[in-house]
Amino acid sequence: MEDPKKEKLNQLIDYIMKNCLWQFHSRAWDRERQNEGILTKTKQLLCDEPVKTDTPEDKCYWVDAVYLADSFKSKYSWLSDMTKEEISALMQEVKDRMDLLTVKGSLNLELTDPRY
Amino acid sequence: MPKHLFKCSECIPERGEHAVIKGEGEDLTDALPLGYLNTIPGTISERGCAYCGAKHVIGTPMKDVIHMSHGPVGCTYDTWQTKRYISDNDNFQLKYTFATDVKEKNIVFGAEKLLKNNIIEAFKAFPETKRMTIYQTCGTALIGDDIESVARQVMKEMPEVDIFVCNSPGFAGPSQSGGHHKINIGWINQKVGTYEPKITSDYVINYVGEYNIQGDQEVMQDYFKRMGIQVLSTFTGNGSYDDLRGMHKAHLNVLECARSAEYICNELRQRYGIPRLDIDGFGFEALSSSLRKIGLFFGIEDRAQAIIDEETTRWKAELDWYKERLKGKKVCLWPGGSKLWHWAHAIHEEMGVEVVSVYTKFGHQGDMEKGIARCEAGALAIDDPNELESLEALRMLKPDVIFTGKRPGEYVKKVGVPYLNAHAYHNGPYKGFEGWVRFARDIYNAIYSPMHQLAMFDISKDEILKDNRFLTQKMLSDANLSEDIVASPTLREYTGKFDSVSGLRDKKYPYMEYKEEITNAV
Repeated sequence: MEDPKKEKLNQLIDYIMKNCLWQFHSRAWDRERQNEGILTKTKQLLCDEPVKTDTPEDKCYWVDAVYLADSFKSKYSWLSDMTKEEISALMQEVKDRMDLLTVKGSLNLELTDPRY
Repeated sequence: MPKHLFKCSECIPERGEHAVIKGEGEDLTDALPLGYLNTIPGTISERGCAYCGAKHVIGTPMKDVIHMSHGPVGCTYDTWQTKRYISDNDNFQLKYTFATDVKEKNIVFGAEKLLKNNIIEAFKAFPETKRMTIYQTCGTALIGDDIESVARQVMKEMPEVDIFVCNSPGFAGPSQSGGHHKINIGWINQKVGTYEPKITSDYVINYVGEYNIQGDQEVMQDYFKRMGIQVLSTFTGNGSYDDLRGMHKAHLNVLECARSAEYICNELRQRYGIPRLDIDGFGFEALSSSLRKIGLFFGIEDRAQAIIDEETTRWKAELDWYKERLKGKKVCLWPGGSKLWHWAHAIHEEMGVEVVSVYTKFGHQGDMEKGIARCEAGALAIDDPNELESLEALRMLKPDVIFTGKRPGEYVKKVGVPYLNAHAYHNGPYKGFEGWVRFARDIYNAIYSPMHQLAMFDISKDEILKDNRFLTQKMLSDANLSEDIVASPTLREYTGKFDSVSGLRDKKYPYMEYKEEITNAV
């Protein structure tokens, strides 16, 4: 039987990969920025922490984060049983995994092209 | 995620790097097909050239423009009946096509004079049209014709006109995608920031990577206007030349087809600080979340929700009628560049079909990442396939229907597999809530058309059984459905109009109608 913690991580990753597009920008530095911007804000929303939205860029990240946090909460009821610390740790794992899938472990040869 | 070398391509072993089968429990770090590379000699692929990608995909959907090819007349081929990017100005850009008609003598002696004469002649023939785009082609690029210089001369002599020059000859990239890139960068370098548009709302977007195929842009624009959002420009379907020069004034870039237009969004973000929001206009769930996100960005999410509620109530029962009849049907999703990821998950979830293969003719590895991520385990992903590989895949996968372009669409018919036009659509638009139902209806009609079964009979030798003499779609689709589904009082077939777009052009929009002009800086 699969580790329940890993199962939760897999569910969140699968949701992002099937329903979101922001993680697939065309350059590695861009993907890092997207993952950081959106997943940090998603974690803040899930943990009831303040979220910065005062620049257009932050606002745009926040929009994707709100959608993701709402989707996670509505689809995965087990989230409501977790403490803030546990959610924060899980979201850090989500971020690490997304960085691996889309940047560090990505086989996309275009990611290091210096220009758009 | 094992790589897959087709038997027919064993003599081209490099092709083994261009196809993978998505394995259970595997992810994108295990394998990814190569992409956006020159087609391997010996494999006859289905790509277009970089000129085609610049002009016929991205440039020409602009509606109020004389689009001129500087080259042989044959390069203007893709016009009426091959492209379906309509517009609300009586399809000027589709009805008229212009070429300088370069001949051998011009290749020898130069064609700049010919070009200048053609530009002036075209402006005189259409005096109400003051904007022009000119596209370089292979021959005129090789002889070094300086189109920019000619365009500058004409603009000096005719100050009321404006001309954009696109330097993307056919050989300027491995596929049409090279042309997408060049026209994106050409437009932002030459034209964005040269016109100050009129801003009429607090909420202003550029709608980017949308080509108004059979009215897609007009459907989405209707939603945006119902929310009170000004669509400052559309890049480029149903888009206006001068509006697109004013892209720098938008608050948000809403990006649909990232494959063809992410470059200009990225540059607008870098140069002007306008954020990029990627959306999906296909599928109830994806479209709803897209509208919600745009509403949220501007603080008008209640307006987005009102549209979602209204449209879902109107159309969901019709989508579900088709879903019941499409469940489990096998689909090869073989479009050009972006629809493999726009559609893969949405058609599986909302129409119940199984995507057994995705391919892309000109996509990059990023498109494959998205496509593979969005389809289920077991799917065969192919980059830049040739005809023999496609036929071998058909024998292997035995799909019920294929979504692809008209070239592969024709040859798959010969092996008895129905196809839907993924580029230009059959009975679109396919975007929007109603559009998604129209797509489901087209899939249903393709799969269950008795014609496909009858076409496979050879009347010179096959026996025509009594049971096969008269068939209808419903006789075929409802044969194995439960009585509850067949007689459902709620589910129903599509009830929209034949033309779902023209009516949108006369609509009044309460949030837009009484809005005072905020700036008038023209």
